[in-house]
Amino acid sequence: MSFTMHGVGVSAGIAIGRAHLVSHALLEVAHYDVRPEQLDFEVHRFEQAVTTVREELSSIRQSLPNNAPAEMGAFVDTHLMILSDSSLSQMPKTIMREERCNAEWALKQQMETLVEQFEAIEDVYLRERKFDVVQVVERVIKALLGHPNQAALAEQESGMILVAHDLSPADAIQFKQHQFAAFITDVGGATSHTAILARSLNIPSIVALSHARNLIQDGEMIIVDGQQGVVIVGPDKDTLAEYKLRQEQWEIDQQKLKRIKQTAAVTLDGTAIELHANIEIPQDIVQTKAAGATGIGLYRTEFLFMNRRDWPDEDEQFEAYRKVAHAMKGLPVTIRTLDIGADKQVNPDSERTVTNPALGLRAIRLCLAEPQMFHAHLRAILRASNYGKVKILIPMLCNLVELKQALQAIERAKQSLKDDNIGFDAKVPVGGMIEIPAAALGANLFARHLDFLSIGTNDLIQYTLAIDRTDGEVAHLYNPLHPAVLQLVEMTIRAANKAKKEISVCGEMAGDVRLTRMLLGFGLRQFSMHPAHILAVKRQVLNTELPKIENLVRKILASNEPEKTELLLAKLNA
Amino acid sequence: MIKQEVEIINKLGLHARASTKLTQVAAQFSSQIWIERNARRVNAKSIMGVMMLAAGKGSKITFEVEGQDEGPAMAALLNLVNDRFGEGE
Repeated sequence: MSFTMHGVGVSAGIAIGRAHLVSHALLEVAHYDVRPEQLDFEVHRFEQAVTTVREELSSIRQSLPNNAPAEMGAFVDTHLMILSDSSLSQMPKTIMREERCNAEWALKQQMETLVEQFEAIEDVYLRERKFDVVQVVERVIKALLGHPNQAALAEQESGMILVAHDLSPADAIQFKQHQFAAFITDVGGATSHTAILARSLNIPSIVALSHARNLIQDGEMIIVDGQQGVVIVGPDKDTLAEYKLRQEQWEIDQQKLKRIKQTAAVTLDGTAIELHANIEIPQDIVQTKAAGATGIGLYRTEFLFMNRRDWPDEDEQFEAYRKVAHAMKGLPVTIRTLDIGADKQVNPDSERTVTNPALGLRAIRLCLAEPQMFHAHLRAILRASNYGKVKILIPMLCNLVELKQALQAIERAKQSLKDDNIGFDAKVPVGGMIEIPAAALGANLFARHLDFLSIGTNDLIQYTLAIDRTDGEVAHLYNPLHPAVLQLVEMTIRAANKAKKEISVCGEMAGDVRLTRMLLGFGLRQFSMHPAHILAVKRQVLNTELPKIENLVRKILASNEPEKTELLLAKLNA
Repeated sequence: MIKQEVEIINKLGLHARASTKLTQVAAQFSSQIWIERNARRVNAKSIMGVMMLAAGKGSKITFEVEGQDEGPAMAALLNLVNDRFGEGE
């Protein structure tokens, strides 16, 4: 029977292949008696499994790329130590001998004892470490059950689609060496390990599919459409044929697009357009360069701060920012100061629950409330400015008081670097994100005090329309073409152009080819988007003649009816 | 045998990474090393035990070291704790 599932597409492309389920080894554990004369053998079997896993983990540790985040290595170290701990490597043997039971059962029992002890811990974070114990035990049980070592599967796996509940960083590293056609997982988000891995491998991926692992059977034929976030399980002949065609078209189109990689982004009438990339981690540079981006328009610094309990220190941050600044070889690198809070919680076990995080302490508000952290953050960014063309972007500005405080914080960071005799670019440009309607309405004021502006359309739309896009009940009301949104965007671009300050759009609107001409018509000359969209947007730029679109763009801006807007937009793109 | 009490001063306490470091340091010495906190006594060379101490910031733990290299071992452990496990805060 065919059925369709919807998740969050985190890496585009279409894959068609058979599902490879990452098994939940713990569910398969049986309990049986072992005869006394067989006990030595059973113990030996257990010891071998532990050795196998130790070798597996050690080889993962060694195959870590140099640019892997430091916490990945620390994570594998912790797993190695848990494995070597006598409570896991010795205790099960005692249980086996006492209860005359099989190795898997003894290990599972011991794991349950340990998990129980962890659950009694008050500290939420330490309590969660039970998952590390479970993950290590899973590996040993897989080895005991003779599940083929993942590495040995390499050849037959090409074309297979990995279906997992979630990928741990260790899994992610391990799967990197394989040729899966796509990854899909039950949980996760745009910055989960699965998403990052899939994007770096340039294969389609969908996360947050809730029960994919339970609904999809091993070996079943599935279609993954990473762009739409759709998985079709057991497709019929017609659907399969349709997607094969789409897949071919997509691939042909990708090939065609590659040809314009080196072409300068200039409209037919000769206006040069800057197409920049949005990135999350230094490794995204590879894709950025492959797409021929002429700079980084948005470097989200959150990633370094997430899934951990402490703030990364100045040096750790500096290393990441320096890497990006250096790798871009003089092209602009716009580093956005920390934008956490809202949907991007740093500390998953934070005890503070806020009813309305999107309207709460986040981004610049949080930074101003945590001056020490902000100081180290700014120092790290400024130090990186010595290694490339760094620009600082402040998110979520709402009023000039915040702006002044942020600028003062930057001055303080500069002064402290001077005092320490550490070099930085004294003229580093400082810009602000326009993503709160109040800031868009006052864009001319912000333009006066800043070197550049950048419109964050995702939040601007959310705040203008009061729509939380992650809320399924209202998500359909989220509309970038709402007249109020278009007017705020146009107004901001106009204000910046008038003040002769650089202006860019870095939200999803910038990467949507349907909107490229409209934004050009608004006067936008700088776009920043996910690297995957750059070439398609460039093609649109190359085919646009600015004087010819003015009239239609003016009509779109004046339109108050959604259907009419859609019609005009179709005409504009024709 | 030497015994000494020390306060955990790093912001996050004995979390996973700090526990890993402590266990690694302890494993470098041949002495028997025990940690005691609130009547719970664990082997410092066992990461599981160390994590289960659940020693947060401000809690006091007691090292008990016995063996040939007990002096240097104690010094190394105290140094690690007082250095905030190299976390800088």
